Amino acid sequence: MNLYKYASPATFYPLAGKMIPWFAIPSAILFIAGLYVGFFVAPTDFQQGDAYRIIFIHVPAAWMGMFLYVLMALYAGIGWAFNARLASMMASSIAITGAMFTLLSLVTGALWGKPTWGTYWVWDARMTSTLILLFLYIGFISLQSAIDDTRRADRAGAVLALVGVINVPIIYFSVQWWNTLHQGATIRILGKPTIAAPMLAAMLIMLAACWLYSVAVVLIRLRCIILEREQNASRFAEVNA
Amino acid sequence: MNWPDLSMGGYGFFVWGSYIFALILIVWEVVSLKQHQKTLKQQQRQDAQQQQRSSSVSPSVLTGSTNETTS
Repeated sequence: MNLYKYASPATFYPLAGKMIPWFAIPSAILFIAGLYVGFFVAPTDFQQGDAYRIIFIHVPAAWMGMFLYVLMALYAGIGWAFNARLASMMASSIAITGAMFTLLSLVTGALWGKPTWGTYWVWDARMTSTLILLFLYIGFISLQSAIDDTRRADRAGAVLALVGVINVPIIYFSVQWWNTLHQGATIRILGKPTIAAPMLAAMLIMLAACWLYSVAVVLIRLRCIILEREQNASRFAEVNA
Repeated sequence: MNWPDLSMGGYGFFVWGSYIFALILIVWEVVSLKQHQKTLKQQQRQDAQQQQRSSSVSPSVLTGSTNETTS
């Protein structure tokens, strides 16, 4: 029995518990601040009217969906390559939150598409690739839950997650590579953003809130996964003693 | 501070629909996680009680090595 490997989830468990409020409380404050700026400070858009206010949840959700996927694949890959159990547990924990944000970006996108494009859904490059992202998350979650041996489930999930990473740049660049109905990037890494300052501020505050929220729930779920797996391990040991 | 028009200039369904959906997802995620956590902790307590009854050594699920079971 390798005690070193056994120790890492067990030592991380109480640490994670202490970290959660440091993310959860600022997240709640930033959600309120972001919504305040988004609804009370940011002006009505001259083209889209108030329908554009969906941007404050749609764009952060879409970013989180993509970002969490890369993070999940990274943790799954580390867990697979170095046989690090905590990293694999982290990947499983991230998957559900990532899937949730991807679903949120699709639903809010549909609700934004109806008043601005006249349709809830089109098989446009960006929307289709985002739907594939949701399927990849669902595939990862169901593949892991279908395999009883947790370490094998981790490895199988890691392969799927890493292969699926190819979809993330496709989503990101889809608006440049293909002619799509979806508008181009609002914020560019180089160059000026294309929206007014209060709108940008609201969006960035909401992004920070979503980010802190994700860390908090991922840590809560990670603690559940640690508890679950250690319980199973101790029951298994009891039966086979 | 300018108060926003609650009807969102006729786009109320889409705007509020988006935020209500977000709220539903967040509440669902947090509540289901908390419930899951509660049942796991109950199980942990039950396991610990059973182990105390079956042996004098009481290995904690989190701190003990799995080799500690004596039965």
